[in-house]
Amino acid sequence: MSPKKSETGDLLRDTLDMLILKTLSRGETHGYGIAEYIEETSEEVLRVEEGALYPALHRLQVRGLLAAEWGTSENNRRAKFYRLTAAGRKQLAEETAHWGRMTSAIARILEPA
Amino acid sequence: MPSEWLNEVWVRVKALVMRKRLERDLEEELQFHLAMREEKNRALGLAGKDAQAAARRRFGNVALVKEDCRENWTFTWMETIWQDVRYAARTLARSPGFVAVVVFSLMLGIGANTAIFSVLNTVMLRALPYPYADRLVAVCPTSKEDPKYDDMPPLAEIADWKKQNQVFDDIAAVGGIWNAPMTGAGEPGPIPVQTVTADFFAVVGVQPALGRVFRADEGHKLFQTVVISNTLWKKRFNGEPSVLGKTFRIEGVVSTVVGVMPAGFESFEQWYQAKSVDVWQPPDPERSMYVKRTDRWSLPVARLKPGVTLAQAQAEMDVIARGLEQAYPESNKGIGEKVVPLYDALYQSAGNKLYPLLGAVGFVLLIGCVNVANLMQSRTESRRKEYSVRASLGAGRRRLMQQLLVESGLLALIGGALGVLLSILATHILRAFAQDLPHADSIRVDGRVLLFAVGLSVLTAVLFGLAPAIRAARPDLNDVLREGESRTSTGTRGRARHLLVISEVAMAMLLLVGAGLMVNSLLHLLLVYPGFDPSNILTMTVNLPEGNAKYTEKVPGRDGMTKSTPQAIAFHKQLLERIAAMPGVESAGMITILPPFGAVSVSFSIVGQPTLSLEDRPHLGFNEVSPGFFRTMRIPLKKGRYLDERDTESAPWAIVINESMANRYFPKEDPIGQQLLLRYEPDRVDEERPRQIVGIVADVKHVGIGGMHALFYESYLQYPAHLYGTLVIRTASDVRAREADLTASVKQAVRELDPDQPVTDIRTMNAVLRKYRSSYQYYVIVLAVFAGMAVLLATIGVYGVLSYFVNQRTREMGIRLALGAQRGDVLQMVARLGLKLSMTGVVIGVALALGLNRFIAQHFWIYHVKPTDPLTYGAVTLVLVGIALLACYVPARRATNVDPMTALRHD
Repeated sequence: MSPKKSETGDLLRDTLDMLILKTLSRGETHGYGIAEYIEETSEEVLRVEEGALYPALHRLQVRGLLAAEWGTSENNRRAKFYRLTAAGRKQLAEETAHWGRMTSAIARILEPA
Repeated sequence: MPSEWLNEVWVRVKALVMRKRLERDLEEELQFHLAMREEKNRALGLAGKDAQAAARRRFGNVALVKEDCRENWTFTWMETIWQDVRYAARTLARSPGFVAVVVFSLMLGIGANTAIFSVLNTVMLRALPYPYADRLVAVCPTSKEDPKYDDMPPLAEIADWKKQNQVFDDIAAVGGIWNAPMTGAGEPGPIPVQTVTADFFAVVGVQPALGRVFRADEGHKLFQTVVISNTLWKKRFNGEPSVLGKTFRIEGVVSTVVGVMPAGFESFEQWYQAKSVDVWQPPDPERSMYVKRTDRWSLPVARLKPGVTLAQAQAEMDVIARGLEQAYPESNKGIGEKVVPLYDALYQSAGNKLYPLLGAVGFVLLIGCVNVANLMQSRTESRRKEYSVRASLGAGRRRLMQQLLVESGLLALIGGALGVLLSILATHILRAFAQDLPHADSIRVDGRVLLFAVGLSVLTAVLFGLAPAIRAARPDLNDVLREGESRTSTGTRGRARHLLVISEVAMAMLLLVGAGLMVNSLLHLLLVYPGFDPSNILTMTVNLPEGNAKYTEKVPGRDGMTKSTPQAIAFHKQLLERIAAMPGVESAGMITILPPFGAVSVSFSIVGQPTLSLEDRPHLGFNEVSPGFFRTMRIPLKKGRYLDERDTESAPWAIVINESMANRYFPKEDPIGQQLLLRYEPDRVDEERPRQIVGIVADVKHVGIGGMHALFYESYLQYPAHLYGTLVIRTASDVRAREADLTASVKQAVRELDPDQPVTDIRTMNAVLRKYRSSYQYYVIVLAVFAGMAVLLATIGVYGVLSYFVNQRTREMGIRLALGAQRGDVLQMVARLGLKLSMTGVVIGVALALGLNRFIAQHFWIYHVKPTDPLTYGAVTLVLVGIALLACYVPARRATNVDPMTALRHD
């Protein structure tokens, strides 16, 4: 993986993992669907790099947080669908809690005194 | 998380089997993504071709994404490394010259380092073999005035420490190890004996395997109890338990065995651990050298109480030392006590010898690495196109770096393997070199040394491979691809390469100066005339026992002073007469300490001159000799007469002085007839009669071979202070042919005079001198070899840079030649660069050496040669510049042979 310069909108690895897990908690979908969902939901603020998305999906699958199987997409193409495993669900819960603590802490610091 | 980890491994193993399917799946998954994106783009209004291009553009490098994905479910790193290794092997095989130079450079560097490390590993990198090794300390006296002061404290003082300190469990005094004649248990012969105080065994924490240790009150002038080694027990007493209570004589003292140490117990003396000792004996409390405050013979070794730090012990000893200074100002003024870990005290001298060498081989390796880095850099530059192409085909930067590092790793490992081979081959030379160091016999390449070599190889690979790898990993794609093959890299990169070569030459120069100074010192040792004719002389030692009443007696009213009995004088006289009468013997003599091993120190005053205070009395060395000594050694008489048979105890006491002493103490007056009053340490009184100078002889190198010392001779037949001595026997024919039968005859003669006296240390005088020189010789050879390696590598470096220079400039030279430049001009251009680089290196090297001359003098063995010796500097400069010029010559020749047409068509 080439270390990329961090620009606005770039997703840090752990954050990307969490967003993937969160997206899949709504139901199974394919990689393209995940990218689209994140972009739409964030109102185009977060743009998912394919160069980061697919390695992340494969990493999460190897770690057993995701499971994958081939299915047919909305437009009748063969696509690889990912879904959360039990471990993935647990991981998501942990990361969401952690994230909540982090953001509220940062928010407190940034709030005008 | 072990289960997750296991799962990962399982996925990867599975992936290994289903490789093809997974590849297909990945391809399909990504294609699906692209197709979906394309469809969306089309929906947004882009035309067919544009929609596809936009999707691809947004996706980025598909190959790279695939590789990143694959990494999760394959052993990618291993596979790619294997791929890289094969690739590296293939590309390297295409440039055997490059590989040969690189591997050779690394082999020398790693080999030299591994060799020295194997010595260090065996000699020094070991814990002391005692249970409380980390709590053992040596307490070494220091002097404010005299930095070289290393006198040890007397027993009486150690007793004071014991009473006053709260920090040590106990303190023992450990004497030197020497070969003493043992009689009464088989064949009389010398065995290694050590005098230690009774608490020595408790301090080091090792108890005898059999019996007990001796008690503090069991030492005596005539009889004592001793502890013997396991080796002696097995050899002389068949390992029988009944050895306890058996007796034998050590130097005539009746010794009763009370204990046997466990097998493998290693003793130590000052500066040296693990010397073999067969008998430990207690000090004889009547012998003045152990009792008097002024005498100093043993290393105090103490064990810290648990939890006490070195600093606390030091603070306590500082207080005690100040107290002793006040109590005994005469002997203890300005004397402090330094508490050092025992390991440091014992291994300091070995370290002094080895660490400079480690530094030297470090330089060799560094020069080798610089060489290789330079070569790699040239190679990287000529392969930039290849990297750019690979990068444009989707190779990630990491992948490119990895491949280059694999290449350098491969080279380093080959170099390292050959280096280890080299060091294994050098093992026996190293043993000879390290003969004076502990454990030298067991020097070998073991697991730890191999590990060191591997670590070093990896380190060097990173050292010389990282810079080119980083450069290769950021090729400016467009530039290189567009540029084709321009030859204009003389900018900063050329300068960096030149700086590297200059640093190489400077380092080589520094080493060469060090080695040159040592070689010069060695030449001094080898070529210098010792002051006597060593050919055809056989030497052997006969030590009459000091504790034996037959040969020594007390001097009445003289505070423990002893002198030889008339029997001792008669023994020596008769023995020498008999030897001189043996067939084939030209003459025979005897001397207390054989040159160049030293002399006995004595202070004196000249009769008729003002008596000086205690501190200002002159000290010098003397030896007792038999009258035949001068003739046997062929020492020329300069004035007066030799000592002879007339100089008996009843006659006026006579001495012969050497020229140095005559010049130093009697520069104006005639020394003959002058009288000296001698005073032996530790006594506080002069001899009862003065000694008169009867002759002056030429100087002999008694104390080392380097310098000359003022010295005088007394006669064994007059009033000898010493019972021990070495016989020197000159044979008419080749001494080596006579060695065996002469030895037998002398042993026979000794036996007839006194059956208990062993004859030891039988060697020819030439062998004695050879052995004396040899340890230095090996040291010098080893360092000279390293310096030679450094020079060779630096030469390769100079050669490499010039070759590169010529290659880069082929076209330019072709143009110059085509425009009418003479071949000489081209030659000059190359030679000038070569000379500039090497001369700059030499100048920097000389400056470094001059700056470090103090350090060199202190840490390298330099003997009667100034560390700034201009002759040495000049010689090594000539050598290095000469070799560098040779290195210039070949590429310069090649430059002049450039054919203008070919050069212009180049590329």
